[in-house]
Amino acid sequence: MKNTAGRHSAQWVLLVAVFIIATCGLIYELVAGTLASYLLGDSVTQFSIIIGVYLFSMGIGSYLSRFFKDHLLEWFIRIELLVGLVGGFSAILLFLVFPLAFSFQPVLYALVGVTGILVGIEIPLLLRILKDKVEFAELVSRVFTYDYIGALLASLIFPLIFVPYLGLIRTSLFFGLLNVGVGLYLCRYFAGEVRGVRAIRFGGVLILIAEVAAFIFSEQIMSFSETLAYNDHVVYSTSTPYQRIVITKNRHDLRLYLNNNLQFSSADEYRYHEALVHPAMGASGLARNVLILGGGDGLAAREILKYKSVRNIQLVDLDPVMTKLFTEQDILAEINRHSLKDPRVTVTNADAFIWLKENKKQFDCVIIDFPDPSGFAVGKLYTTAFYRLLQTAMTRNAVAVVQSTSPYVAPKSFWCVNETLKASGFQTIPYHNYVPSFGEWGYIMAYKPNDFHLPVTFPIEKKYISEAVMEQMLQFPDDMLAHGPVEVNKLNNQALVNYFEKEWGKYLEQ
Amino acid sequence: MKRGEFIRLTAGMAVVAPLVNACDGQKRNAAKTIPGKIVGASAAAGHLLRDHAFNPPSEFETKEVVIIGAGVSGLSAARHLVQQGIEDIVVLDLEAHPGGNAASGGNAFSKYPWGAHYVPVPNNNLTDYLAFLEDAKVITGYDQAGLPVYDEFFLCHDPEERLYINGHWQEGLVPNFGLNAVQLAEFKTFFKFINHFKNLKGADGLDAFSIPVDTSSRDESLRALDRVTMKEWMDNQNLSSEYIRWYVDYCTRDDFGTPFDQVSAWAGIHYFASRKGKAANAQHNDVLTWENGNGFLIDELRKLLDGKINTGALATSVKTSANGVKISYLDVASRQLKGLEAKHCIMAVPQFVAARLLSDTGRGKALAGHFHYVPWMVANLTVKELHERSGQPASWDNVIYGSPSLGYVDATHQQVQQRKERRNLTYYLPLTHASPEVARREAYRAEHAFWAEKVLSDLQRVHPDIREQTERIDIMLWGHAMAQPRPGMVHGDVRKTLANSIGNAIHFAHTDLAGVSIFEEGFYQGLNAAKKILQQS
Ligand SMILES: Cc1cc2nc3c(=O)[nH]c(=O)nc-3n(C[C@H](O)[C@H](O)[C@H](O)COP(=O)(O)OP(=O)(O)OC[C@H]3O[C@@H](n4cnc5c(N)ncnc54)[C@H](O)[C@@H]3O)c2cc1C
Repeated sequence: MKNTAGRHSAQWVLLVAVFIIATCGLIYELVAGTLASYLLGDSVTQFSIIIGVYLFSMGIGSYLSRFFKDHLLEWFIRIELLVGLVGGFSAILLFLVFPLAFSFQPVLYALVGVTGILVGIEIPLLLRILKDKVEFAELVSRVFTYDYIGALLASLIFPLIFVPYLGLIRTSLFFGLLNVGVGLYLCRYFAGEVRGVRAIRFGGVLILIAEVAAFIFSEQIMSFSETLAYNDHVVYSTSTPYQRIVITKNRHDLRLYLNNNLQFSSADEYRYHEALVHPAMGASGLARNVLILGGGDGLAAREILKYKSVRNIQLVDLDPVMTKLFTEQDILAEINRHSLKDPRVTVTNADAFIWLKENKKQFDCVIIDFPDPSGFAVGKLYTTAFYRLLQTAMTRNAVAVVQSTSPYVAPKSFWCVNETLKASGFQTIPYHNYVPSFGEWGYIMAYKPNDFHLPVTFPIEKKYISEAVMEQMLQFPDDMLAHGPVEVNKLNNQALVNYFEKEWGKYLEQ
Repeated sequence: MKRGEFIRLTAGMAVVAPLVNACDGQKRNAAKTIPGKIVGASAAAGHLLRDHAFNPPSEFETKEVVIIGAGVSGLSAARHLVQQGIEDIVVLDLEAHPGGNAASGGNAFSKYPWGAHYVPVPNNNLTDYLAFLEDAKVITGYDQAGLPVYDEFFLCHDPEERLYINGHWQEGLVPNFGLNAVQLAEFKTFFKFINHFKNLKGADGLDAFSIPVDTSSRDESLRALDRVTMKEWMDNQNLSSEYIRWYVDYCTRDDFGTPFDQVSAWAGIHYFASRKGKAANAQHNDVLTWENGNGFLIDELRKLLDGKINTGALATSVKTSANGVKISYLDVASRQLKGLEAKHCIMAVPQFVAARLLSDTGRGKALAGHFHYVPWMVANLTVKELHERSGQPASWDNVIYGSPSLGYVDATHQQVQQRKERRNLTYYLPLTHASPEVARREAYRAEHAFWAEKVLSDLQRVHPDIREQTERIDIMLWGHAMAQPRPGMVHGDVRKTLANSIGNAIHFAHTDLAGVSIFEEGFYQGLNAAKKILQQS
């Protein structure tokens, strides 16, 4: 260094570097912690372990720093670049690894460990670099002051600014870029004192380019892996033109999500499907021809196949990927007991509304298992227009049943479906049951005015339904009633979608 | 509850996503030409007539009635005649397809309108019109109270209308998002006036504002409204905020292609106060609409007219003769002038065309300075999924506050399937920025790229990715889309004089004679002309 003024500013440059390193280091830790609690749940455990691992690795880093004997500045810059590389890509790596590896935690802790070690090496290294430039007491105080200020800054800006505006992937890349930027700046500043500065700079620029590119394409990278929303291991996920299908699995159950909404948990789906299918099947007598609208998972079909009277099941589901999965994928087909391969079952991939408009056949029992009316498109499948078409597809004594969302969370929505069915010329029998993974769930049976009988016995293999349970399911406590008039859902008012949005929205705010 | 958490988490992600997205919205503005063309054949046929000398027809085929023009008016006349047993008729139209301003097109994804796209729930006193809608199965029956039940598939599905205003899509077209109390109060006052007019009767006992226009009261106090513009009337009522002015101006441009400072106050108020329809399953402000807009009604009108419509037939002259009327027309396909002789002729064409066909300079003069035909541009866009701004989701009618356009209507809106691979959006722009003559000349000169850019730059405000997501834009230019109801049009004499039949043989039926250009008027124009003929035979 040329003179004291130069010395002085060199010192400041290094101290600013400490500040940035400290900020970045803590940010990586926070990114890892947040990601782990998103992906694995249980944020207390996750954060606590990650902080522990991080601090411990910093200790290891400090210890290792003693093995760096000379060319300290050079090493310092190299490590700085390395931190930028590892930390910058940490979020992407974790997102990508999550659906692939069943052992996610080792990767997570390894990353946190490596970052910790690297950051841990840097501080002592810096102290030694500055050792003969500043008085020791002042040096230690300054370095640690900047270290801790950096930490405070990181912990404030991370939740307030970075996560909401940039998201995790871009946040970690941003700080990676900052690290690399510092490294490159130091290269320049100390060009005269560093050996092999070109090679280091070249490496730094490469990392810089890679991170900028990743920053720009982070969206595409993210869409690779949308594990963010799921608590369990994603064992399969795909986007079809119709929906996003995600299957997750943990020790207890397998779950199917369509557009992020839970469709079933293998642990308790029998409660839902027995309640959906058997009252209508029982009431329709010896049904021969059964229609299933929706229900591409084959679980309703599995229940229907328990009846000997059944000759044909026509299943109409929008999404060929869905029905193919549940026909051919072994783990899934085991859950529906290979119902979709049964010769009595005909699978048609078509839009239910359009299919029904063109259909000429009549059925003895119709099971309607559509997604909840959460938007105007699905809302059409719950309108008088749709139910009038449905009538034409039913024999005189046929019974239909409609899954009708939760009468506890969304009573107006539930009773709106009931009113709509009535306005379409049906008589109805609303009922509900408890499905642990869903909560209280509602169904409505609909039939043309005739001598209808509720089933007395359920002469099939079952885990849940019985005559006593049936009786119970018909009872609606006060907190599941609409309390006031509800509108009929029509194509030109979409009343149901509005109820549904309000009621579920309010429920989720709580 | 698990399900709840998931919805919450996804909702959270949905909030973050646009922020991240917003960054890369700008970077792709680079011009890209989107395929498409300017459609419409009439100009070509017109040029043929201008550029070639044709031998006058030597033979005149005889018909009982010849109708010139297969728009709503002409088809309605023909339909009534056939229903009443007069089968020896022919309808001529210069276009390749009937429909006139209610013409429609289509592609693999849906049909779509090129002009008229909806009718409001009809007034209940229009029995002939209701009977037609019953024949068309638009009305499926009547309830105990005698109110018509409309086919649900044809009532405009929800969500019906939205307005992009103050950075947000609000529900409905009456501005409310971001308005202060004073501005909102003006709308209350305005609709109070409208309500008053809706229920008002003139001294002659007739409804102040009724459909057809000519069934309205002729009370002098009401006729006075036809001597001022809508803007003058609003100024008198102190309705002067930017928002109410925009709204009324939007409405009068939408229905009449006429800005509120040019339209007659009578016509302006008629737009709001004449709709009183009651229905078992709809309200007076609901509308009936189809993928192909009023093209659906055109198909219904022509159901009884198989073999009686002669398209690609450009009428060139109409003259009274000893036996009635002689009509010459250019058969575009064979490039020959042909002749027809009929007992009666209904001229279901605009009056500037009628004057030319009759070679009647007197009629031409009467029109000049009184009938102003505004040009319109209509574009059909085929689009993939569009980026949406906050607020009400994509609706049937999508209007942008402050835009010179009327926004767009989604032709696929009435489709019931869950997934739409593409949507066809019909974009409307009445060319009212200059005088009709100047605007028309400009419009015909401009090329496809000019119009495409005009549409895209307007829609880009609400759909930043419209350029990438639009696969095709076709353009229709309506040189003489409609006669503007400026002051003096409705209650002045010119319109009535021109509507008088010539002798017993030549009758007139067109919406420009009605005062306002709407389906019902065309329907009754045709019906009344047909009735005149039936009275004589
Ligand atoms: C862009 C646009 C949007 C509209 N939207 C609506 C709407 O949503 N709802 C509504 O109710 N109304 C709407 N209208 C009004 C519409 O004009 C009327 O509803 C109705 O369609 C007019 O019918 P018409 O028969 O009176 O006239 P036109 O439709 O003008 O019919 C005249 C016919 O005569 C033919 N013709 C002209 N000259 C000759 C000739 N020399 N020889 C042979 N044939 C000839 C033309 O080709 C045409 O087919 C709209 C109009 C326009 C232009």
